[in-house]
Amino acid sequence: MARIRFQSVSKRYGSGQSAGQFAVEGLDLDIRDQEFLVLLGPSGCGKSTTLNMIAGLEEITEGALLFDDQVMNNVPAHKRDVAMVFQSYALYPHKSVFENIAFGLRMRKVAEAEIKRRVEDAAQRLEIAHLLARRPSQLSGGQRQRVALGRAMVREPSVFLMDEPLSNLDASLRISMRAEIRHLHAQMRSTFVYVTHDQAEALTLADRIVVMNGGRIQQIGTPDDIYERPQTIFVASFLGSPAINLIEGTLARADGAAWFCRGAWRLRLPPELASAADGAAVTLGLRAEDVQLAGDGPADLPAVVETAMPSGADQYLGVRSEGQTLYLRVAKDARVREGDAVGFTLTPQRLHLFDSQTGRSLRAGA
Amino acid sequence: MSGVIIRRPWAPRLLRTAVLGAASLLLLIYVLAPVAWLLSSSLQQERELTSIPPHWIPDHPTLQNFRAIFATGLGYAQPSANGVDPTSGGFIPSVAANLLPAMGNSFIVAFAVVVLNLLIGVPAAYAIAKIRFRFRNAALYTILATRVIPDIALVVPFFLMVRKLGLLDSLTSLIITYLAVTVPFSVFVLASFFEQLPDDLDRAARVDGCSRLQVLTRVFLPLARPALVAVGLFAFLASWNEFLLALMFTQTAASQTLPIVVAGITSDFTVSFSFLNAAGVLAVVPPVILAVMFERYIVSGLTAGAVKG
Repeated sequence: MARIRFQSVSKRYGSGQSAGQFAVEGLDLDIRDQEFLVLLGPSGCGKSTTLNMIAGLEEITEGALLFDDQVMNNVPAHKRDVAMVFQSYALYPHKSVFENIAFGLRMRKVAEAEIKRRVEDAAQRLEIAHLLARRPSQLSGGQRQRVALGRAMVREPSVFLMDEPLSNLDASLRISMRAEIRHLHAQMRSTFVYVTHDQAEALTLADRIVVMNGGRIQQIGTPDDIYERPQTIFVASFLGSPAINLIEGTLARADGAAWFCRGAWRLRLPPELASAADGAAVTLGLRAEDVQLAGDGPADLPAVVETAMPSGADQYLGVRSEGQTLYLRVAKDARVREGDAVGFTLTPQRLHLFDSQTGRSLRAGA
Repeated sequence: MSGVIIRRPWAPRLLRTAVLGAASLLLLIYVLAPVAWLLSSSLQQERELTSIPPHWIPDHPTLQNFRAIFATGLGYAQPSANGVDPTSGGFIPSVAANLLPAMGNSFIVAFAVVVLNLLIGVPAAYAIAKIRFRFRNAALYTILATRVIPDIALVVPFFLMVRKLGLLDSLTSLIITYLAVTVPFSVFVLASFFEQLPDDLDRAARVDGCSRLQVLTRVFLPLARPALVAVGLFAFLASWNEFLLALMFTQTAASQTLPIVVAGITSDFTVSFSFLNAAGVLAVVPPVILAVMFERYIVSGLTAGAVKG
């Protein structure tokens, strides 16, 4: 059982003259007991540093870290009830699989019979029971990954940390392991904190996602929140594949409504997006999947098809509109050829509007 | 018959083998000839040793030199040339009785230096390799810098310190000064070995419940065996062979090491070369035994850090 709280935590590397390099700055985060929380962001955003601070592998420069109500800042890693799976697996090369999994229990002086029971149980569940006598060097990547999971599982920790555990696996294995990790969380009833730079992984696994950039939290929310209601341009562009289309323009008020204008193109905005002043520089976010081909009816967005890219289930169009290339998804059977002039209708509620200066969402209540 | 037998031209292959073989043989002779001569001459009488041409295989092999060394209590160790013609053989120098005690001294010093090297070097190297602390690089470079100072520059300061501490003519003085010379190298080798062990291994062990010290003893040391052997052997050989400092600090048989006593043989009024060579054989044997014992670790230990893996 553990609720993890960061209170204004900063981590600075270097000392003396090189001080001031923040890896994490002013972090406030409340991780609920038994939650599956994913820290998501590009490399160097501070997500791994945050995870390592929970583990006790990095010292905290400022602020407080609490497990439940206990301040953990100065509790060393080996005295925290935390298990961790590393991207590199970090198995002990000189120990057998059994001893690798058992090591954490041995260090905690668990009785031999109990160690045997737990290791064998975990091995059974991870389907590595036949490998217990082998050395890590004799295992495949997927098997090593399972041993690493097993080593953390048997500890039955109150906090389970994972640092990009799937990024060294091939694509198909990664998908099936996602399901297993989800399953593991349901069984273990511990607090999971999971670091990844893979947005698909985050959206699949998380109860809540924390998007980080430059050592600061950009947004905390459910996968839905993060994807549907991004609070900053960074969050909007970090999630989604292909990346969201960002179109710069200005906001104009006329005829009792707000309009997004770029060149000759004018788009009527839904009222909840229209909180900016007249003439403000704004950025419109348009996801590839949020358009339909207009056919012969009225169109919100006129464009010329540059490239058509079928991708199996549907097709993506690269289209040119007002001097900018946009990538949009249309049905597989849509008959469009390169060079065609086409029109799209947009779903107003699914548009995103950001202040171009601050990068923050202009959605009311955001 | 199915398949085609491809005959490679045999002449170039034969030539290659011949050239390689000859080169290897030359190198082998170059390296081993002095050792063979050392061994052979230690079994010869002085008269045969000085004959021309030299006898590689003794006509009249004798163990008298070794008997003299090992049985000094049995009357062989009469001081010096009491009426015996030195060229006729049977001449035993006055320091023969000191050889075994000197060997004992050498052993004690070398053993202590090896043990202390590991006790000091291992934690220091682990800290430098895996703990980020202030002045970490400064510490490493300072340690390295002490390695480039030639021993001769340190003799006088060492001597003054040893005298001030009242340690002249004691084994302790040798152990202390040899540590000063060998520990930096040990730390450097071990640190570069520990550095190539992944950081995640250290972190995984700590999360698994190891204190820093336990990470070292439970995870790193078992993996570092080749490096430990290499470092231990180096420290042993450096102490075993050391001459300059031992010459300065030791004065009596109580603390003299083997190189000092062996060198002392040549400063007698008459030099018995066959005896000198027998003493040489004795000095060679322990390092050879150690090298053979740890042979399989030496290569991997000395090349550790060269390639990742």
